[in-house]
Amino acid sequence: MLKKSIAIALALLLVMGMLAGCGQQSGQQQQGGEKEQGPKEIAFTISAEVPSLDPQKATDTYAILVGHHIFEGLVRVHNGEIKPGMAETWEISDDKTTYTFHLRDAKWSDGKPVTAYDFEYAIKRLLDPNTASEYAFQGYYIVNGEEYNTGKITDPDQIGVKALDEKTLQIKLKTPVKYFLSLLNFISFYPVRQDFVEEMGEKFAADADKLLYNGPFILKEWKHEQELVLEKNPNYWDKDSINIDKVTIYIVNDANTAWQMYENGETDWEFIPAELVEQVDSEGRAMYFYDGSEFYLQFNVKREGKPWLANENFQRAVGFAIDREALIKAVMKGVSEPATRYVLPQLEGLEKTFAEEYPYEFYSKNADVDKAKEYLQKAMQELGISDPSKMTFEYLTDDTQRAKLTAEFIQDQLEKNLGIKMTVKQVPFKQRLELMTKMDYDVVFAGWGPDYNDPMTYLDLWVTGGGHNDTGWSNKEYDELIQFAKTTTDFKARADALFEAEKLLVEHGPIIPIYFRQRAWSCNDRVKGLVTNFIGATFDFVYADVE
Amino acid sequence: MGRYVLNRLIVSLITAWVLVTIVFFLVRLLPGDPFLSEKITPEIRANMMKYYGLDKPLHIQYVTYLKNLLKGDFGYSLRYKNRTVNEVISQAFPYSADLGIRAVILATTAGIILGIIAALNRNKGWDYLSMFIAIVGVSVPSFVIGPILQYVFATKLNLLPVSQWKSFAHTIMPTFALSLSSLALVARLMRASMLDVVNQDYIKTAKSKGLSPFQIIWKHQIRNAILPVITVLGPVTATLLTGTFVVEQIFAIPGLGKFYVLGIQNLDYSLVLGMTTFYGLFLIAANFVVDIIYGLVDPRIRIAR
Repeated sequence: MLKKSIAIALALLLVMGMLAGCGQQSGQQQQGGEKEQGPKEIAFTISAEVPSLDPQKATDTYAILVGHHIFEGLVRVHNGEIKPGMAETWEISDDKTTYTFHLRDAKWSDGKPVTAYDFEYAIKRLLDPNTASEYAFQGYYIVNGEEYNTGKITDPDQIGVKALDEKTLQIKLKTPVKYFLSLLNFISFYPVRQDFVEEMGEKFAADADKLLYNGPFILKEWKHEQELVLEKNPNYWDKDSINIDKVTIYIVNDANTAWQMYENGETDWEFIPAELVEQVDSEGRAMYFYDGSEFYLQFNVKREGKPWLANENFQRAVGFAIDREALIKAVMKGVSEPATRYVLPQLEGLEKTFAEEYPYEFYSKNADVDKAKEYLQKAMQELGISDPSKMTFEYLTDDTQRAKLTAEFIQDQLEKNLGIKMTVKQVPFKQRLELMTKMDYDVVFAGWGPDYNDPMTYLDLWVTGGGHNDTGWSNKEYDELIQFAKTTTDFKARADALFEAEKLLVEHGPIIPIYFRQRAWSCNDRVKGLVTNFIGATFDFVYADVE
Repeated sequence: MGRYVLNRLIVSLITAWVLVTIVFFLVRLLPGDPFLSEKITPEIRANMMKYYGLDKPLHIQYVTYLKNLLKGDFGYSLRYKNRTVNEVISQAFPYSADLGIRAVILATTAGIILGIIAALNRNKGWDYLSMFIAIVGVSVPSFVIGPILQYVFATKLNLLPVSQWKSFAHTIMPTFALSLSSLALVARLMRASMLDVVNQDYIKTAKSKGLSPFQIIWKHQIRNAILPVITVLGPVTATLLTGTFVVEQIFAIPGLGKFYVLGIQNLDYSLVLGMTTFYGLFLIAANFVVDIIYGLVDPRIRIAR
């Protein structure tokens, strides 16, 4: 369940991450050398069927992974770097709201040219309410995008996207969006061709032969629930940079089965099942990367009869009473990083990462019981409560084993360190979301994955009336900081404002960061140039090679 | 007889209708809705509800669903966009059926042989061995057997592939893992039945006629002992054909089992309904056939009803 929640939460674009040079132990490489003749093949597993490869309808992590390799947007993000994709060059207006892209000569897999009209059609299709795209909100930055999607206007020609000719595409934004280029690498913005989509109708993207490809690979075979086979695209404009000829992606739901396949040499890389992490690590074969997900405690400050949930000092007391490092060690075998701040450390700042440019550590990695008690005292004074055990609350979480262990750990810490009693309520994922939406909870253990490579993807959640702000928290200063950051063209002032907002949220808001998730994985020595990302395609093998 | 068949047919159709109706409303009572996700906004959710017709009043949705169902159309999956439930089922069921039928064959043949061996060697080594296998089969679930098989035969001995469903070698471990508990059931039943038959008068008669032991066992004992086993074949077949979920998970077989669980997790109404209806009709049809056969074999049954 948690995995699923992450699949959805995780989502999106942009790369960044680390070049996982896979072959860490070069000692045991094969000396064969003569294998150059045969086609270069790699294989790996994913844990579930890809629900949809229709670029404008796809939302899940596997569609994003596969889509990154079989399609190409205006730009291509590789290892955090924005490179020209279908667009060869582009200009950005002085007010940073008008983007003009000049497309290169590129072909669809049926040999017809990729044009600016394909992009215009795709973006309008994304925003069309009749497409019922879950990720339509990615197009809300564009002039009239939201208005069209929510039915306030009905003429698609009012949307700020237009093909000026076959090779020129113009996109107009409502406000300057610092991360807009990297956003264009996201699956929702990949082109589709009108005549093909209309010819296929409801069957579009249902099978390998019901899609057109313009990326480095084409989907040769799609055996539902079984495997996807990718082959190098002979029509791809940059085909000389692509080394891999064939990629087989097996759909294997059981993590242990997937691991056995890897151990048997049937696949080239795999996530390590939790119970084996220590063993594989001791053999020097484990690697780790951030998958972009952050988990935190979220307080419902409008909860009737429980005024302490709205009390800042009570919230801080809970935050300092939890030993994050011990939690990670106990529940996740040490794989993940304690969150002592709110913004994911890997997100992009001006030149370096946001965390490097704005270092900040409010919570400690271990429990700070003295500080926690201090905050609790203040809270009790403010609330006129003398017995901390009266300040009970219910902790809402998913029905997975990991969620249960996490809950029990936190329950134990609060009782031991503060004398606060919390009860645990475990429900299925969808039910948790519904309870959150209805604000029918006390405290929830929730998570979020970035939609784009910018701190805003975490921070704008908590503005007053925000679609995802299920806390009831409202802070005028916070709203103003976010609003400023969304409209200014001065990116330094913008970053400053985001940092102020982060501090405000962490020190006074209803969110207690717990950890930034990492994944443990292992990879064959023979694979080179495989990139892992915390945003967008989890694995990027576009430029990978095998020995 | 014609009236009896008609009777059974009407009962079957009513059963099917009740099943569809109950599931149709029950699945909508589950908390949450199909499009709830961490990222979705209320407006986009409304768009999606409208697109799939879920914004209409429940009774209208119900009537529409029944109409489509009569045409054999289960509708589009809410999660696997662009794929109909009919497609999902027709792509996945052959794998489950293939696995299930293999398991039925293995469970019955091996089970019967094991039971016979045990009975003929009562309280000797072979008996103990057979019954040990039977007890292991009943008590160790397939989610334990599966990974053990994978570890021993694929990872350690490298004899068989870890998972998937591509060649005969791929089918061996899943078939065995799935059939083991039924195999054990059949073996125990066959053994008990054989021992029961051995004390019957006609066996004594056969002995006194001077028939050879082989003839007695083959012609009289096994033939009579196998009847109770045949009566459990129906339920065993149903269990094996519909109970493939765990084994399919472990061996990454693209069968139908997982869609039930995934359908409910994702609140994919049309998929859950389609699956239930499909399996429901499958079982109802099987029962119908069994009823008819009973009626043919034993006139008392059709008169009693």
